Amino acid sequence: MMDTHLSMPKRGKRKFKKGIVSGPWIVFRKTVQYLALAIFIALFVWSRQDGGPAAVINIPMRMDPLLILGHLAASRTLLAGSALALIVILLTVVFGRAWCGWLCPVGTILDIFPLKRWRKKGSSPAEGWRRVKFDLVIVIFAAALLGNLTLLFFDPLALLLRTLTVSVWPALDRIVTAVESILVNVPVLEGPLSTFDGLFRPGILPLQPVFYRDGLLFAVIFLGVILLDLLAARFWCRYLCPLGGALGWLSKAAIFRRSVGAECKGCTLCTDICPTGTINPAKDYASDPTECTMCLDCLEACPRGQTRFVPVFSAQKWTTYNPDRREALLAIGATVASIALLNSNGPAKRQSPFLIRPPGVRETNPDVVDFTKCTRCNECIRVCPTGGLQPAVFEVGLAALGSPILAPRLGYCDYSCNACGQVCPVQAIPPLDLEKKRLQVIGLAYINENRCIPWSDHQPCQVCEEMCPLPQKAIQLEDAEVWGPDGQTVSVKLPHVLREICIGCGICEYKCPVSGEAAIRVYMPKVDVPF
Amino acid sequence: MGKLTRRDFLKAAAAGAGAMTLSAFLEACGKVLPTSIPAADTQAPTTGQPTKSALSQPSSISTEGLPSATDGVPAPTGTAVPIPDIAMTRGGEPEALVRKAIEALGGIGAFMPAGANVVVKPNMCVAYHTYEYAATTNPWVVGTLVKMCFEAGAASVKVMDHPFGGTGPEAYKISGIEEQVKAAGGEMVNMISYHYVDTVLPSGVFLKKTKIYDEVLNADVLINVPIAKNHDSSVLTLGMKNLMGTVFIRETLHNNLHQSIADLNSLLKPQLTIIDAVRIMTTGGPTGGKLSYVQQKDTVIASRDVVAADSLATSLFGMKPEDLKYITIGTAMGLGRSDLQNLNIQVIDLNA
Repeated sequence: MMDTHLSMPKRGKRKFKKGIVSGPWIVFRKTVQYLALAIFIALFVWSRQDGGPAAVINIPMRMDPLLILGHLAASRTLLAGSALALIVILLTVVFGRAWCGWLCPVGTILDIFPLKRWRKKGSSPAEGWRRVKFDLVIVIFAAALLGNLTLLFFDPLALLLRTLTVSVWPALDRIVTAVESILVNVPVLEGPLSTFDGLFRPGILPLQPVFYRDGLLFAVIFLGVILLDLLAARFWCRYLCPLGGALGWLSKAAIFRRSVGAECKGCTLCTDICPTGTINPAKDYASDPTECTMCLDCLEACPRGQTRFVPVFSAQKWTTYNPDRREALLAIGATVASIALLNSNGPAKRQSPFLIRPPGVRETNPDVVDFTKCTRCNECIRVCPTGGLQPAVFEVGLAALGSPILAPRLGYCDYSCNACGQVCPVQAIPPLDLEKKRLQVIGLAYINENRCIPWSDHQPCQVCEEMCPLPQKAIQLEDAEVWGPDGQTVSVKLPHVLREICIGCGICEYKCPVSGEAAIRVYMPKVDVPF
Repeated sequence: MGKLTRRDFLKAAAAGAGAMTLSAFLEACGKVLPTSIPAADTQAPTTGQPTKSALSQPSSISTEGLPSATDGVPAPTGTAVPIPDIAMTRGGEPEALVRKAIEALGGIGAFMPAGANVVVKPNMCVAYHTYEYAATTNPWVVGTLVKMCFEAGAASVKVMDHPFGGTGPEAYKISGIEEQVKAAGGEMVNMISYHYVDTVLPSGVFLKKTKIYDEVLNADVLINVPIAKNHDSSVLTLGMKNLMGTVFIRETLHNNLHQSIADLNSLLKPQLTIIDAVRIMTTGGPTGGKLSYVQQKDTVIASRDVVAADSLATSLFGMKPEDLKYITIGTAMGLGRSDLQNLNIQVIDLNA
């Protein structure tokens, strides 16, 4: 490879300023990018109980072909709303990976972070690593056909939504609340603060804090995606992103592609500016449409106007880093073996008794361990007003990674809420009306009599009974005479759970005043052991 | 925008930290949280043991059990009739019930000076059911109160509660209270976590320190508007129990619930308590959810004395004040009176 620095002196003269290219196309693209990111975040904010209509706030997820095709392969059901994915598919067939360069919110976030100054020349991995994203696509679709969607965990939209929900927003809320709780002491600021709260709560930030177990973990994962840019621009998009891989494959047949004119003098400006590093000086500055994000930086950078984007009607040839037949078969074989091993994991099949799914899931989707319909988009977790729904990490087995579980100690299933089922873009949580949702048995409460205050300490409590939202009360109190601490009889009210009535909403576990693990817990006693 | 150097940033950060530290001092000189809210100018004793004058004015009606509609107590006319300790209105629309009851106590102006900032505390404990289920205060009772406050020249009327089931905004909407309050020009306040301030209860026996909502503590006038209903922990939830909605963490209080309720009432002294008994829940409380639990009583009880109001309200359930431990404790602590036979109770029958 020739030393590209030799031809650099012209830099800064015309369109370059510190290596940043400008021009009308760039202004246009950046405007679209920021607008798309703003819309994504606005829809995220609007996704809450009593927020925007599900048909609107779901649009990004239903436009994502990886999620939708994955869901289609795994569930073998076609949902009308999934037709939105055709927009992105069509866009890709015409303009290649324009989604990645123009619309994807993760791509835009990577563009915004100014890591360029610390990036060293030549630190990017070998070209062959680009195959990771293609292999990931093969694995995802092979697994989806076998009824497993675990790896959709790495879909960029799901990754971003999860991080915003579980990490960014709670942290933001903590910081704002901390500042507010200091400022509220300053007498003159009371008025402005309540105006601020009126504008931002509960519309943007929650009234009461919600808690997530793994906020730090998901923040670190997303930070990792960003920091990989220290090695190469758009590292995630180049090497890892499964959505980018899927769209890249589709881009093999894209109509508009980059071509270089005969007048090219080999100044390498385009090679240097290309965010995905796909312009190859060794091949007459040609680029690979599976890698090109159609950002048009090269179009604006070319001093001689030799870079063009023109319609081409032929499929792009296979490149060295596109998986060949052998590699694809290997990937499929590895997927089959992995799924088989996951499914031969006896304890996982037995299910954790504390695997509590959102309302209505168990009834419609008995094979809840694999959770075959869930695309891991985490919209349900976002809209849950109590923070009871949490993304599973390893609590209920590797296969359920990123799927929603109810953690009643952190938040309960609100008797007056059915938001999760309404918002789910693929009906993995059934969209039940409130009356039906109130009848769903998501678990059963049991009392740990060794920890329960009336049972073990003979002190009055009965919080669980008071909180039970059912009109007929699934927790009943027994008037009992028990032995007190000094050998005398004491009258106490002992709580009992009526199993025929309990729906497992978990408000009893959430409100139980016993510290640490609650004295009343929701679990799933009915376990179908398949062997 | 000029470039922010590291030095500039550190300076700004130091200034910010300094301001945060200073804010504690600012708080100290800026405001003092009242340990008890002074009652508005009153003609009748609000707390303490019965005075001689009160004792020397025997009640004009029988208070054994529920006063029946045939008692036919005439409404006070002119100024000759003393202001009663408790006013009870029956048989009418919620708005008329509230207006007549407050009128009997000397009008809303007796409880609040013009320009007062008023906090109204209804019971909106869950976001589960509409008002027909009597789990939450009747929306028209609350709406009428808000209207009356503005008629008496209130500067602001804020209505709030902290539900234990569902979120505040949902409860406000489902209970129907938001609609009536907004129509009357009042404001629904979403109770936000950082507004709860550590508060010492000097007279507290069990509950000595807890977090209470600052706007409730700082209000010029606090109006307590509970619904009368069954409650499985406290037997009945009425005025004294309703104030628990202003406390941040309530679950741990159940260990000594009745004393906690009395302790809280030793700090929070609503100028006026209006017990909504338009529809009462006789069993299955506090959450309810069946119309068979509900009885229509078309009754409102009003008093300056929350203990007295609660004491009379027990009769709606065929009970006596002594049946509620928090009333007994509250009376012993001198928070109010529960000796119904000695209280001046005025019953107004709107249908008569």
